[in-house]
Amino acid sequence: MNASEPYSAAVGAGITIRNLTVTYHTDRGIFPALKDVSLDIRPQTITGFIGESGSGKTTLAMAIMNAIRTPGLIASGSIYTDGVGDVLKLQGESLRRVHGQHFGFVFQASSNSLNPLKRIGAQLLDLGRSHGIKDPRILLKEARALAERMGMDGDRVLTSYQHELSGGMRQRAGIIFALVLRAKVVILDEPTTALDMLSQQAVLEIIRQIHEERGLTSIIITHDMGVMAEIVQRVVVLYAGRVVEEGPTQDLLQRPRHPYTKGLIDAIPRITGDLAEAKPLAGSPPDLATVPTQGCVFRDRCSLRRPVCDLVEPLAQPAHGDGLVTCHGVNAHD
Amino acid sequence: MREAIRLIKRLIGGALMVLIVATFTFFLVRLMPGNPVQAAYNTLITRGMTPVQAANEVRVMYGFMPHESLWAQYVHYLNQLIHFNLGQSISYEGVSVLHIVLSAAPWTITLVLSGVVASFLLGVTAGVVAAMKRSSGMGSVLTVSGSLLHGIPQFVMALLLAFVFTTLWPIFPFGAPYGGALTPGFNLPFIGSLAFHAVLPVVAYALSSYGGWLLTMKSSVVSVMGDDFVLAAELRGLKPSIRFGYIARNAILPLFTIFALSLGFMFGGSVFIENIFDYNGLGNLLLTSINNRDYPLMTGAFLLITIAVILSNIVADFLYTAVDPRIRRP
Repeated sequence: MNASEPYSAAVGAGITIRNLTVTYHTDRGIFPALKDVSLDIRPQTITGFIGESGSGKTTLAMAIMNAIRTPGLIASGSIYTDGVGDVLKLQGESLRRVHGQHFGFVFQASSNSLNPLKRIGAQLLDLGRSHGIKDPRILLKEARALAERMGMDGDRVLTSYQHELSGGMRQRAGIIFALVLRAKVVILDEPTTALDMLSQQAVLEIIRQIHEERGLTSIIITHDMGVMAEIVQRVVVLYAGRVVEEGPTQDLLQRPRHPYTKGLIDAIPRITGDLAEAKPLAGSPPDLATVPTQGCVFRDRCSLRRPVCDLVEPLAQPAHGDGLVTCHGVNAHD
Repeated sequence: MREAIRLIKRLIGGALMVLIVATFTFFLVRLMPGNPVQAAYNTLITRGMTPVQAANEVRVMYGFMPHESLWAQYVHYLNQLIHFNLGQSISYEGVSVLHIVLSAAPWTITLVLSGVVASFLLGVTAGVVAAMKRSSGMGSVLTVSGSLLHGIPQFVMALLLAFVFTTLWPIFPFGAPYGGALTPGFNLPFIGSLAFHAVLPVVAYALSSYGGWLLTMKSSVVSVMGDDFVLAAELRGLKPSIRFGYIARNAILPLFTIFALSLGFMFGGSVFIENIFDYNGLGNLLLTSINNRDYPLMTGAFLLITIAVILSNIVADFLYTAVDPRIRRP
């Protein structure tokens, strides 16, 4: 990538993850938060990471940006992204420039991702200065345009402090920060949590439109199946630090192969039909400390459990056309 | 405009505070065992004054008549106070308290302010380093230095410094605020000598509060570094220097409140430090006035220290509003 020309046309970049293992080092021992993850994120596609708390979806997003913090550690693997190369090999200045120029990260609406003591415009200028933008006016103009694009008064947003904005506006301000440098990959962390239903709809619609307009590669981290069904084109289902299923949204939601994905879908209450039809997933979410080190990590909650699951960790096999599923109980040729 | 109104409100509030403290000291002196006003009157009588002369003399000293009712005395006292008349000193005969107090004030204010500023800058910087490098040896050394120095009382620190640097290694002069042979005024040798003599007392002030700044700043920086916006700044690829500015400015906020409180503490400490280093500041004045039972001087010195503390609180309050937009009212 060329740092002196951050305004080159934004085109989404694909991401190729191979054998990624991330470990957390705690007083109780070393736990793998991601274990041997291999995954392709397709360019110019909205990909959703779904899973329970502790499944590793945020860790995976952080690892893609090579932004794992202590006590976490990227133990092995590679992450190639178009125009950058292996992100995990970057460090120092070159890594810093990739953050913001190649990857845009959008925080949850409930988080305070802006410096409370500075006006948003001033923080945008800090961002520009950090990435060698020579003419701050272009940057501010771009930011103003993005704000208007998302239904906000550009000047008002730029002259506001964080505490003067509502949750939904903060979220959109965060999107401005992620996009203003023309990032090619945008990662959104739980973009709809902490927002009311109407704001959720508005934010999702904005994400979808900007994604299309700019030809971005977008990743949405969520535990909300509704968000998945609505906006995401491909779904990555994570369980205990493993990718258990991946595929195009429609096919994956209609014909889930992995028992965990089935469980997640069955747990959603329908608007039509009895509330009792929603079946909560049996057992408790994965805990890194108690995840079995041998065999399948899901077997204790699984309806398809068989003897081999206790001994051998299942391998990924093709499913959903160009997707994958990781389960002993699923026959790939079904 | 809004700020001006706020300042006026705060100043009125401050004036009320001064009034309350003045009232308090007035009644405190009146309620002290032995009734100092009556005692002064009696002393004058035994010196051979007529009762009228003695009463007038007391009135000049205290600003009220010894035989009036307490309420009348209070009203008289306040009336004098509003006209900046704090009465006359007993120990320095014929000199007005205001004059004595005002000539002592610059010594104290200079020492205390340089001490506070020095310790603030030093402690805050060290606190940031201690927080950033908290897992390294340097961070631990800084933290321990902070805890140790924080535990040493001001007068012990002053005595220790005086002993080490004037007796053990006589590097710094001792016992006067400037060289005796020099003529006070705006000339270089005098100012140089003044600064040189001030090193030890200023260091005494600074070291006694340095630890507090360091420890508070360290914990504040550590907590700010865990905030979302710091991670966000990193993931947006902000330059380390800009990120550092974000952290430092947010972390220093809670210290402004403590800054104001510490000024009061420092003025309190001036009693010891000025005595040890022989400065004729407010602290020393307070001490001699207590020893000499010079009540008008005592109340005067009290009042000035009170005003200084209240004013510095107002200043700190306004500084706080200037740096934190969330405090500003719409």
